Amino acid sequence: MKIDLANLTIKKAHDHMVKGDFSSVDLTKAYIDEIKKKNGDVNAYLEIFEDALEAAKKADELFKQGKAGPLTGIPCAVKDNILIQGHIASASSKILQEYKATYYATATKKLAQAGVVFLGRTNMDEFAMGGSTENSAFGPTRNPHDLARVAGGSSGGSAAAVAMDGALFSLGTDTGGSIRQPAAFCGVVGLKPTYGAVSRYGAIAMGSSLDQIGPIGKTVADCEAVFNIIRGQDPKDGTTITDKTYPTKRVGKKKPVIGIPRHFLGGDGIDPAALEAFEAAIDSFKAKGYEIKEIKLPNISYALMVYYIVMPAEVSSNMARFDGVKYGLHVDGKDGIEDYFKTRRAGLGREVVRRILLGTYVLSSGYYDAYYNRANAVRAMITQDFLKAFESVDLIATPTTPGPAFKIGDKASDPMSMYLEDIFTVTANITGMPAISIPSGTTNKDGKELPLGLQLTARHGDESTLFQAGKEFAGE
Amino acid sequence: MITVKELEHLAVLSRIDLTEADKQSLVKEFDSILGYVDQLKKVDVSMDAAGRVGAVKNVMRADEPVTVSAEDRERLLDEAPDREGDFIAVKKIIAQD
Repeated sequence: MKIDLANLTIKKAHDHMVKGDFSSVDLTKAYIDEIKKKNGDVNAYLEIFEDALEAAKKADELFKQGKAGPLTGIPCAVKDNILIQGHIASASSKILQEYKATYYATATKKLAQAGVVFLGRTNMDEFAMGGSTENSAFGPTRNPHDLARVAGGSSGGSAAAVAMDGALFSLGTDTGGSIRQPAAFCGVVGLKPTYGAVSRYGAIAMGSSLDQIGPIGKTVADCEAVFNIIRGQDPKDGTTITDKTYPTKRVGKKKPVIGIPRHFLGGDGIDPAALEAFEAAIDSFKAKGYEIKEIKLPNISYALMVYYIVMPAEVSSNMARFDGVKYGLHVDGKDGIEDYFKTRRAGLGREVVRRILLGTYVLSSGYYDAYYNRANAVRAMITQDFLKAFESVDLIATPTTPGPAFKIGDKASDPMSMYLEDIFTVTANITGMPAISIPSGTTNKDGKELPLGLQLTARHGDESTLFQAGKEFAGE
Repeated sequence: MITVKELEHLAVLSRIDLTEADKQSLVKEFDSILGYVDQLKKVDVSMDAAGRVGAVKNVMRADEPVTVSAEDRERLLDEAPDREGDFIAVKKIIAQD
């Protein structure tokens, strides 16, 4: 049968493969054909794996033996900072351009064991530092809805791959919004799980107290299916949690109660179209019988400032490992120490250098208390605000982003305006709470319909409430 | 807010060469970013929040050597820019008399 990639979901693809309407090889070939048509424009993929069809053949064997699981034979894309043994993982950086992963990340290992087909690796902001994928050493990813605009970032390639029908789902990483913001810009669903819900073993670290791996898909149910495979405690990542780590107690009897921090929504730089779409989303929840409450998060306006201290501090530590000795690029100098200076100069891009220096500054003696310690204290206050709010509501709703995808080049010269893109998304990383972005209407700019996203945040460990409300909102 | 001299010191600590043009633009960018995050200084953090980050606690494990297979060792060594046999080769750091 002709495969309708545009309307396919994981469940539908699975059912078709069980019935024998098409095989995983057929499906994989259909995706590779689509990628070949569109990737020249979009630049979502950095590489299509030659062993994809081999994996699809193995998946088809599992179907024949009746051993196929829900993700067996499902073609997916993986962000270039999550390791798949034997494949290059460059983090879209020149310093790792030829680095071949020596082991599997736990998340990709679990997906491989579930029988997925890895189609290829996707473009991103270098080392996940950015909000537009313009910081990739290998050119920007373009938004499939308007090629003049960014796909968002840093998981821009992963979101665009799904949006252009170049994969049924993908993996991204989210440190300050890097799954949810590109998902919103590209009109797909993106989940940032609870901190520790998914092992980060084998994900190239950026901000270790903030980073999480999560799925991007076309539907909430697809993201849920992937999350259920990749989640779980891992001895190789001491920050991973169990189902018992966070006992959750819901307020809403039948339906979750939704809180809105209205005092935080009307600031400068927020596109009226984003607020309009948000109000429409809230009306739709009301119509479905959800109770809506106004809540106060007194310290939330400090979240982005906290983020731009804690994150670079952790970046400066994590990036110290790239020294041209153990792996990756090496540029020769007159002695060992000059090798470091030359290698890092040649291999690391502007935004990465900026954050390393900023992190070194806020951690240096004399500034440590004023910046890093203070940021950690305010971080705890913000988390307390959220925990308090969750005593009376089950979900907190905001727009995912201040507006739709912006034009390529528009924010590239002003780091501060790019950083403000994360205003609604960073809180979930600051608090460690799970959050999801779901498509929530479009707005017309320059004759193009551009997607917007609704963000829902839940208590620690309560992804299931995100899925329940998300599916109902999306009409799944 | 930050001087070129301070920036040069940070670059040395971070082991990154900077050009003159880099320094000029970075000084400006630092001013804009630090100007923004400096607003945190007006927050009253007198509560006992200092140094406490959520419910994070240390996770310990035994410090035990792990046996790596010959294949894994080869894969790891293969990624090194320079090797001699089963060692990663680096430049000499002690001067010869």
